[in-house]
Amino acid sequence: MIQNRTEKIIYYGKKLAVFLASMFILSVVVFYVSRLAPGDPLLSYYGERVEKMSVEEREWAQAKLGLQDSLLVQYGRWLENALRGDFGISYKYKMDVVQVIGERIGNTLLLGGIGFVLIFCLALLLGVLCAWHEGRPLDRIVCKAGMISSCIPEFWLSLLLILVFAVNLKWLPSSGAYSLDFADSLGDRMKHLILPVTVVVSGHLWYYAYMIRNRILEEVRMDYVLLAKAKGLTKRSVMFRHCLRNVMPSYLSIMAICVPHILGGTYLIETVFSYPGLGTLTYESARYKDYNLLMILCMMTGITVMLCNLAAQIINEAIDPRMQRGGQTGGSDGP
Amino acid sequence: MDPEFEIVGIRPMPQTGVRESKKRGRRGPAIAAATLALIVLGCLACDLIMTKDPAYLNLYGYSLPPCREFLFGTDTMGRDIFSMIWYGGRTSLLIGLTATAFSTFLAVMIGAVSGCGPEWLDLLLMRMTDILLSIPWLLAVILAQAVLGEANVLSLSFVLGLTSWMSIAKVVRSEVRRIRHSEYVIASRCMGGSFFHVLWKHLTPNFLSSIMFMVVMNVRNAIVAESTLSFMGVGLPVEEITWGSMLSLSEKAFLTNAWWIILIPGFFLLVTLFCITSLGNCLRETMSRGENILK
Repeated sequence: MIQNRTEKIIYYGKKLAVFLASMFILSVVVFYVSRLAPGDPLLSYYGERVEKMSVEEREWAQAKLGLQDSLLVQYGRWLENALRGDFGISYKYKMDVVQVIGERIGNTLLLGGIGFVLIFCLALLLGVLCAWHEGRPLDRIVCKAGMISSCIPEFWLSLLLILVFAVNLKWLPSSGAYSLDFADSLGDRMKHLILPVTVVVSGHLWYYAYMIRNRILEEVRMDYVLLAKAKGLTKRSVMFRHCLRNVMPSYLSIMAICVPHILGGTYLIETVFSYPGLGTLTYESARYKDYNLLMILCMMTGITVMLCNLAAQIINEAIDPRMQRGGQTGGSDGP
Repeated sequence: MDPEFEIVGIRPMPQTGVRESKKRGRRGPAIAAATLALIVLGCLACDLIMTKDPAYLNLYGYSLPPCREFLFGTDTMGRDIFSMIWYGGRTSLLIGLTATAFSTFLAVMIGAVSGCGPEWLDLLLMRMTDILLSIPWLLAVILAQAVLGEANVLSLSFVLGLTSWMSIAKVVRSEVRRIRHSEYVIASRCMGGSFFHVLWKHLTPNFLSSIMFMVVMNVRNAIVAESTLSFMGVGLPVEEITWGSMLSLSEKAFLTNAWWIILIPGFFLLVTLFCITSLGNCLRETMSRGENILK
């Protein structure tokens, strides 16, 4: 345990330093790699007109966007502006990138949020259900079905759902986040969300449900369960009041790490369903060299990942204070 | 035991469910292995199976439903899907294996260097791994592929390998750290064994079992990744036949409701992935956990 105040400050200071250094390196890597790739950022700014531009016009346009300087100068300028909170404009939308993201982020949060909550609850439910019926037909059927569902490539599942529910049955829309005339209608939004959320959930659900199942099955074999049973507690109260309670903290920390995975998963799904969220935006900006937009999106993802890892670490440390020391020195070393 | 001296409250030795699970577990992998072998053989011997030239564009017979001449129908460009499945499967599987070879090699090298190296190098490499892990997978692949230029089988495998070594490297590192101070490793070092000798002769056999499952899963993930990328149009072009590029025609297939263009390649993909997963699960050592007390 860390009791000393200064030690605590040093501990968190170190974390902060590592976080900042990581963000810096991430920005350098993304900046460099995105510019290394061939492709014309002018195309996303001027569209088709680029083809007809003369050499002088091109040079003028490049100078205007600041693309002619060396990479180092460009990065320095980006960093300077970014530290002041100015992340530049998007080449394609010709708006402040923060504004572009602001318009889309709600959609992604809605999709990811609903997906996350569903995964969280359903995984718990399925895991407990399987553990309760361990080895019996129900458990085996669910395990098999889960394994198959975890094998289905997400994009193919999306195609399948579109084929069945949008093309043939015509029940649900196949793309977008809302119909043109019903931008504010909640029901319409939900209708557009059903298929993407289904894909998000089915892609991740089994992984976590299976983990819960196995954790509980490990827990059920502990000695305290024998004691609780000898005391005369019912199966239900042992399962929910003792076993599940011991499993929950580690589940929480795993679910914290799961957030970026779900976020990353929505990228693909949003693209398939042409859902106007951050995923489609990232995909577009990476393909069409919308540098400023790409940078801020990458930084945002990076921050999310690191914050989630931090949250997981804090939960773990709260459960087991020994991890604080162990985590710092990088695991136990041999003699 | 003497009945007069029965011990009260004795608990029988927990039955380890090994025998039962073996019986049940054997059959699954055998079926999976047989199916996978069938698909692989079919793909390797595609020249014998194919009824049509998979690359031939039949302009008069596009989007035909399955019939006697075209067993699985034709796609929107008039190619015979039955022939394409076998021909394209070759490329899909090849990419899966090559990408895994790349990523495993990278993971073992980086993990071992990080595990054996000095503290600062370890910190540096692991931080780097974390940073790479924080870039969304799709983005990383698109960027890396853009740097390498137009995608072909080799460059795509390389990119997929380059973006999927991180989690294996972490496991390798922690395993290497655990065993690097063992007597036999020290003895080998003292006798002048080089880094690669120690790595290959002493370290690899020890961590191989713990990464085997992840390696098999990497084959699966690489196949999924290739098909996803080709489907989205950032991987292999449509002319390069793979299961993924066949599915990239699905947008057009929606218009004519040509289900066979979507369902059939996807089904083959799914079966292959399922077989690989079953084999991977089988590889993972089944821990005997003892008896469920709560039952």
